Amino acid sequence: MKAVTAPTRKSETRTEEKTDRPWDVIVLDDPVNLMEYVARVLMRVFGHSREKAEELMMAVHQQGKAIVWSGGREKAEMYVQQLHSAQLHATLQKAS
Amino acid sequence: MTVMPTVEGGLKLVPEDDDDWNVLSAIALDADEEIAKRFSGLMDEESMWEDIVVPDLETHFSKQLEVVIEALKAGRDSGEVIISPGESEEWYGALNQARLGLERIYQFGPDEKVVLEEISSLSERSAYRRGRFYSAVQAVLIEYAMPD
Repeated sequence: MKAVTAPTRKSETRTEEKTDRPWDVIVLDDPVNLMEYVARVLMRVFGHSREKAEELMMAVHQQGKAIVWSGGREKAEMYVQQLHSAQLHATLQKAS
Repeated sequence: MTVMPTVEGGLKLVPEDDDDWNVLSAIALDADEEIAKRFSGLMDEESMWEDIVVPDLETHFSKQLEVVIEALKAGRDSGEVIISPGESEEWYGALNQARLGLERIYQFGPDEKVVLEEISSLSERSAYRRGRFYSAVQAVLIEYAMPD
């Protein structure tokens, strides 16, 4: 029987970093997606109000990109998958 | 081609000649086949997007095109193409794939910056017009056939 070893301090720290640091879901502007469609996708995926979704959509359009959600990595990936499924150009990055 | 809303909440496309049918048939041909892989390029390696998500996205995007192809086959007999409310999302997605495909090849950019007279290539002009048509159908779909 193999002895069970306790996790090292190093891996504990790494896990904390991975779970605690928020991730930003970012939508990038593109010349194809219609503005009304982008707003609707943001409402559907994130449950944003129309007002909030249009505000974010305009930020994407005018600034080239916008953070549309921040939180845990796993959930951020799930949201990006839904955005890609809707053909929005989206990515995630660690919150600054 | 006439595009009109139906009382059921969908859209009806009535092509008037072969050119119109050719434009509709071009939706699947213009579609960017690599779109799912291109999205994976936006993700870091840790996400393993290529292995985990891309196959699902490819299936999803293929189904959108299949809906359009089947509707066009059925429409050839009746002379009109019906987009039911339940298939409006798939149609919208297929048209978007086509526009993304055209954009990847021709890089037209935002509509307001394109001057049609400055496009010398006939194939490029034709592609631009198709893209405008796809966009117009998308706008009608959003207004009449896709729930808010």
